[in-house]
Amino acid sequence: MLLKDEQVLLIHDFKTKFLWGIRLRFGIILASIIVYFLGISGQVGLLPMVKLLLFVIAYNCCAFLLSFLKKQYKLWEIITIISICQLFDLLAVTLLIYFTGWLESPYWFLYLVLIIVSGFGIFSRYSKIVFIIALFSAFFYLGLMLAAYFAVIPVYGPQFSLPPTELLHSIINRAVFTVISFFLFAGTIYYFSQALTENQQSLVKKNLQLLATLEELKEIDRLKDEFVATASHELRTPLAVIRENTSMLHDGIAGAVSEQQTKLLDSATNNIDRLAAILDNLLNIAKIQSRSLELKRSETNIGQMAEKAISLLQGLAIEKKIVIKKEIMPKATIWIDQDQILRVFINLIDNAIKYTNLGGLVEVKVALEEKGIVCQVKDNGIGIKAEDLPRVFERFVRFNRAVEMSKRGSGLGLSICKGIIEMHGGKISVESREGGGTTFTFTLPKVETNG
Amino acid sequence: MVENGKKILIVEDEPEIANVLKMRLEANNYQILLAEDGVEGLNKARTEKPDLIVLDIRLPKLDGFKVSRMLKFDEKYAKIPIIMLTARVQQADVEQGMDAGANAYMTKPYKAEDLLAKIKELIGS
Repeated sequence: MLLKDEQVLLIHDFKTKFLWGIRLRFGIILASIIVYFLGISGQVGLLPMVKLLLFVIAYNCCAFLLSFLKKQYKLWEIITIISICQLFDLLAVTLLIYFTGWLESPYWFLYLVLIIVSGFGIFSRYSKIVFIIALFSAFFYLGLMLAAYFAVIPVYGPQFSLPPTELLHSIINRAVFTVISFFLFAGTIYYFSQALTENQQSLVKKNLQLLATLEELKEIDRLKDEFVATASHELRTPLAVIRENTSMLHDGIAGAVSEQQTKLLDSATNNIDRLAAILDNLLNIAKIQSRSLELKRSETNIGQMAEKAISLLQGLAIEKKIVIKKEIMPKATIWIDQDQILRVFINLIDNAIKYTNLGGLVEVKVALEEKGIVCQVKDNGIGIKAEDLPRVFERFVRFNRAVEMSKRGSGLGLSICKGIIEMHGGKISVESREGGGTTFTFTLPKVETNG
Repeated sequence: MVENGKKILIVEDEPEIANVLKMRLEANNYQILLAEDGVEGLNKARTEKPDLIVLDIRLPKLDGFKVSRMLKFDEKYAKIPIIMLTARVQQADVEQGMDAGANAYMTKPYKAEDLLAKIKELIGS
């Protein structure tokens, strides 16, 4: 009938649910007393009502005391207690119907209440309980009808002045209607409680599946981090050796070098630096992707970051006779990661300079608005083709014209920028026309800081 | 070659890196001591009392963070400046390095001029 687990749960839940049941009964008693005194229930003898109320109060108090008697009840004890309470409930309802005019009593609906409650009560895990209660309700009700008809018990309330056969017909009609409604009701409750349980079970299953997947993903992420750390180390060490060797040769520490040799070694050193930069970028991408790059935010004057980037790249601009125009709001401060945003500026302005012809113009704008900071890096360079625009923030993507323009570039810069901006909760977008320059715009929202 | 009387202890397990470091620093008139693992590094630091230590993090027997902490929390050796020179570049590593008392944290591959400038800043040339 009930699985082992369910039995354990039932024993565990018993006290709480039992006490709720008692509270519910007391509530109903209170309600019925009020109803009675408001005169709604019609002609009812006072004495029988009082007796009934006393009966109900009595067995509820017993039940209440019983719940404190033992710490934990065994299963059969629980079943016995609940069954007795249930029977007393049925009896109480039947008596109420009896005292309020049996056939014409409006209180038969209380059987339905008992059916509903059984569906959600202690035995709700055994979903067929509703049918059992419906059955018992039918027995009690029919029992009452027959007892009254055959005058086995004195009849309260209005006397029915109908000939016996007609009375019998009335009773049968009533009884059939009422008993059918018991079972219809029980059936509905049963159906819905089954559906509910199924839903819950499938939800629990899905949750477990999700948890398992989450654990797997976490493990993969950890492995990836380990791999990145190891690979990083394995790549950096030989790079360091090569760089220093080359550098020392270049600096003449291993002997005099000719001018030609110096040039070659220079080139070698520069390229090693490029490799190191790409390695750094790769690491950053990996970190941003796995969200292990933590932002170290501080109150930053973002205009200063833009200025810093511009001054770092000034040399490159001068080489190409490119003018950098600044429109930077002086007191634009915002809670951001300084180094990361500096990196974004460097990337964007470097791109602007790279992809603009000699004598071109690069504009850098920083403005503080209601919602946050809005920055723009605009150039009048070679621009981006319309069909290429959607792919501009993808990793390792460099368009042909970009490669023709400058050999430098790993195709990672913009995807890093996008990652950093989005980690700050901002957005980055691009507008461009082939041959008509490019404009990158990014926003950084204001962050609510405590204090 | 005229030595300037400053002793630098290099604690690095990769011999190639140790050698290029030695070559570079000797070319700048520093006297060089080498150690191949954390324990040897710690011992040499205590016995030889170098003027500066260039310390890798990934070391056998005892890692660089521990070596740094053990020296910095001992007042006899706390004054010796430590430059951590390492391939580990995660933010967490840098912070750990600073927590362990490193005076500077440099990553490989390093630019010789940066390293030399830092050393000069810490102990003169």
